[in-house]
Formats: sequence, C-alpha cells, structure tokens
Amino acid sequence: MSEKSLVVHVARFARALREREILVSPADEVDAVTALTLVDLSDRAEVRQALRVALKIRPRDAGAFDELFKRFWESGPAAADPGRSSRPASPPAALLRRQGAAPGSEPESRDLERDVAVGDLPGYSPEALLRKKPFEECTESDLRAMERLLERAAYRLATCRSRRLVPTRGRGAVDLRRSFRKAVETDGEFLRLARRARAVEEPRLVVLCDTSGSMDAHTRFLLCFLLALKKAARRTEIFVFNTALTRLTPWLSPARIGPTLERLAAEVPDWSGGTRIGESLAEFAARHLDEMVDGKTVVIVVSDGLDRGDTAILGAAMRAIRSRARRVIWLNPLMGDPRFEPTARGMEAALPFVDLLASAHNLESLERLIPRLAA
Amino acid sequence: MQEAMERHGYIADPAIATAVFLAREMKKPLLIEGDAGVGKTEVAKVLARLLDTELIRLQCYEGLDVSTALYEWDYPRQMLRVRMAAEGSDPSLTEQVIFSRAYLLERPLLKAITRREGSPVLLVDEVDRADDGFEAFLLEVLSEFQVTIPEIGTIRAEHVPYVILTSNRSREIGDALRRRCLYLYIEHPTLEKEVRIIRARVPEAGERLAGQIGRFLQALRQRRLLKSPGAAETIDWAQALVRLHRDELDPEIVQQTLGCILKDRNDLRDLTPSDLSPLVRQARGIEVPAS
Repeated sequence: MSEKSLVVHVARFARALREREILVSPADEVDAVTALTLVDLSDRAEVRQALRVALKIRPRDAGAFDELFKRFWESGPAAADPGRSSRPASPPAALLRRQGAAPGSEPESRDLERDVAVGDLPGYSPEALLRKKPFEECTESDLRAMERLLERAAYRLATCRSRRLVPTRGRGAVDLRRSFRKAVETDGEFLRLARRARAVEEPRLVVLCDTSGSMDAHTRFLLCFLLALKKAARRTEIFVFNTALTRLTPWLSPARIGPTLERLAAEVPDWSGGTRIGESLAEFAARHLDEMVDGKTVVIVVSDGLDRGDTAILGAAMRAIRSRARRVIWLNPLMGDPRFEPTARGMEAALPFVDLLASAHNLESLERLIPRLAA
Repeated sequence: MQEAMERHGYIADPAIATAVFLAREMKKPLLIEGDAGVGKTEVAKVLARLLDTELIRLQCYEGLDVSTALYEWDYPRQMLRVRMAAEGSDPSLTEQVIFSRAYLLERPLLKAITRREGSPVLLVDEVDRADDGFEAFLLEVLSEFQVTIPEIGTIRAEHVPYVILTSNRSREIGDALRRRCLYLYIEHPTLEKEVRIIRARVPEAGERLAGQIGRFLQALRQRRLLKSPGAAETIDWAQALVRLHRDELDPEIVQQTLGCILKDRNDLRDLTPSDLSPLVRQARGIEVPAS
C-alpha cells in the first residue's frame, strides 16, 4: 500500500473510532501512520498491535477498537463505510492476508477495568446510614442532619493542601536553596532560614445546576451542597437552569439554606419547570465561559440529562466548556439507580466531553466527590 | 524484538514487542499501564539491557518535586565554598561560583538528558502517583528534552533518551501526557505465556509444576479478587515452591504458601480451604505433556 492510501485509510479508521466516542487526535493519526510504515503490513496481528499502541487505545475502549479493526482492516474499508459514497482505491485486506488472532492477546479486558479507587465505606453509625439514604426518601429531620454533614464535608475542600511547596514565613520545612542565597549575602552566615510549606490551593469551581421538574426531589439537597461548597471555596460560581440560565452567585448568602431556596423559587423563572439543557449551557458558554472558566477551573454540571431541546446544541456547548476547563464533572442523580445507563439523549450527547460522570443521589456520593474537586 | 527480549529473560507477547519496537523506532515515550505485577517496570529494564545502555529510574510519589526529579544544589559543598571565600571577596563572584554546574547534583531527569555516552533508558515509574503539576512539568521535559535552570541556563539533551512511563492507574493520566506517548496496556499473561515465564525465570521448576502453577493462577484470576496476582507474584510463588522441594501442588502446600500470591487480607480470608481444593484439582487436572 502506498503511503498516501495508508494515510487515507488511517484517517477513515480514526473517524470511525471517533464516531464510537473513542477520542483520537490528529497527532495520534500521524503516530499511527508512522507506526504502520515501520511494521510488517502483511502481519495483521502486528498491524492491530501497532495501531493500538499508536492510537493510545485504553483498555475500556479495546472491545470497540477490535470490532472496528476487524471491519476496517479485514474485510476492507468498503464494508466499513456503509452509506458513504467515497470508496478507497486499494482495500488493505488484500495485503493483510494472514488470518487468526495474535497469540496471547485477548480483547476481553473489560473485567480488568474494575474501579478499585472507589471503595465502600464501612457503615457503623447513624451518620453512615444517613449518608447512604437516597434523597427522595428523606424526612425533614434527616434534612437538617444532612445539611450539617454537608457543611463539614465541604469544609474539607477548603483545607485541601496542594503538594507544591511555596515560600512561607516562620513555619514549614527549611528551604535550603533560598537560605543559601541569603547566606551568600552575609558571608556564609545563616542569619535567617528561609522556609517553605505546602500551599493551600482553593479550588475554583463553576457549578451549573438543573432545577427542572424531573430533578425536583434532588434539587434541595444539591443546592444545599452547593451552598456549602460556596462557603468553603469562595471562588465558586453557581448557575441554575431550566429553560433559561440564571446566575445565582450574587444571591447566595452564607445564612440559612431554607429561606434562600424559597427566595429562589419565587424569583428564578420556571423553577421546577421543563428543561432545555443545551440552550442553557450554550448561553453559559457564550456569555460567561471566557471570564469564569480557565485551566484551573472545575466545571460541575448537575442534571439528569433529560433534555427536551436539540442535543446537537448541548454537544457543542459541552465541547466548548471542555476545551477551557480543567475538568468537567457531570453529576447525575439518576445514577444511584443500579439499572442506570446514560441513555437519556442529552446525556449521550454530553458524555464525550465529560471527565467524570458521578452519581449524586445521596450524601455519600457527594462526599466522595470532594477530593476529586480539589485534585 | 520478541526474541531479543526473550534472550534477555523477558517473555514478551506480540503486543509488548510491537509497542517496544515502535517506541524505539519512533523515538517516542512509551506509557505502559496495567495491574500491579504484570511486568511494566521490567520492560524498561529489559530495554536497557537490550540496547546495552544505562537505565535511569525516577520513582514517582506524592509530593515529588523538582529537586528530587531534576536537580538539587550540593549544599554542603556550597557552604564550604562560601566559608572559604570569607572576607574581602566579591559576594557576587562567590554566588556565580557556587551556582555553577560543578555544584549541581543531577537527579534522574537531568541525568537522562545530560548523559554523554549515547541514549539511556529513562524509566519514570508509577507516574500516576505524582501530582498533576509534576505531570505537566514532565510533559514539558518530554517534548523538548531540555531543562532550564535559572542560575545556569538551558541544558539540551545530548542524546534523546528512550523513555518508558508506567502507571498503575490509581488515577487517570492526563490526556496531554498520554497523547505525547505511545500507549501499551499489559494484560495478565495467558496460560501459555505464564508457563513460559515460570520456566524462564525459575528454571528449577519442572514442566509439571510450572503447568500447575500457571493453571492455578489462571483459575484464581477468574475469581473476584481485590488484588489479582501478577506475573511477579507467580515468579515468587514458583520460587517458594521450588525451595520447599515441591514438584506439584496439593491443597496443603497451596494453603501454606498462599501469601506469596494473595497480598490482601480479605482475599486470603475469602479463599477458604473448600474453595481451594477444587482450584488445586483443576490445576492438577490436565498435565502438560513432558517436553
């Protein structure tokens, strides 16, 4: 195969991968082409390995990759591009004659994907039970207890220390390097030691919270959590949306949560109405993105993803947000349900641009989120 | 490549061999992920032996900073020099002297780019344990292979090192770093590969024992374990059994030596003797034909 048709074929393959939401960048494609010029193209197993390595396919995508690889590099690209008019000149299948899977390679790597990071906390106190209770089942007194717990959890966030060491006065470990600098000026006498300690880094958060009818049972808690967050991390911006976007930040006082919520219900248009997630996020992207989100900001979207609007708009808005933010976290209260799959249309459109999809159905799930906001 | 690696005592499957071959040919860093003990670090070691070059290792950990990864000033020597200069000398001159390369302690990253005798292999081990900030810094070093030290200036790599990064996936490696590298995920070995690993690394283990160990571990990994044993554990266990002069498995000896392969208290507790004996029977079931 000539190099040119190789390029075309890799590009087609990469596009197919992207359609399956396996993100492959042009730089990866360049790597892939380079890699293919180095391996034996008649050895199908080797081609497969080389592409996996060069396109940086993670184990969770291995299944989809293998499936596409089979279609693309075995039966030729014609079969792999149904419904498209363009046909490549030379199907590589002719060149990739050797059949049979590579010995020692198994596509079923999904069970290796077990997430060990999130372990279950041992339950031993009423608090622990409260932590696991779904929000919809809570009584009024549960609520108040939860509010207190939440505040404590959120406070931990504000005391997250960065691992970076910065110069400090009077405390922390001795900074030899700076001490020496000073000593040189005083003929080698260490009159004062310079010190450094771990910096306190306040996370910068932007929260976009869905307040539509489908979220009603959860909204109170989530807002509670957000208010607690806001108290802990002062640079938190909070927006709510349903059919339109409202910036909540200036309204939030660190006082009691109940009155604040009531005031909100009275003044925010369409409180607990329907949702237009896409339009709302697009509005955020257009009006606030540049000024509020930078490489240090974590953006949190709280929504069930049940969008009535156009999902293409949602996808575009999420892409814009993703490209600026440090991380994008999507909290979905429906995820507490073990049968949950992100099949809501809005959710599907947003998913490729989300770094972390987490549940937000009980207190425990929110607490678990906290270290992720700071990291 | 596969054969070359095997000559140096590393049983590679085609996936590993291809990845290492491409990393060498394309001169790109190779990011290796996989469960603990599947032989990620070993890849770097064998690559260094294969290329007959030095292996420079940077072990990452939480709080790893520039002074441990890149360079540090040799403070005791600097102090002596400052004292010696003593009275009357120009302090700015002293400063120039003590912040020169002679007083610089090279840490792994700097060592890797300043090595004069050909390209070394730089192993950045468990990069997932370092923090995001370090990852960003690493990205910069890996793309330019140059380092700027404020007191000295920019130091460029004499020979671009071969870089291997490993990660246990304790956290997701940033996309930017991943894109900069080639990527390899090492699976747990297949039965055939595992038996070959045992035979290569513990030659004293007979064909029969190696086969039984291999099958036992394959069966064991099917269970839900908190920490699946990797090839490293397999080798340890084979060595232990050889020391104990066993040439086959029986439930009793497995029970006694289980600590070699299961390193988690819960896993050990969950695996009761009644679970064990069918596993052992299964492992002993089909004998590997003698060679």
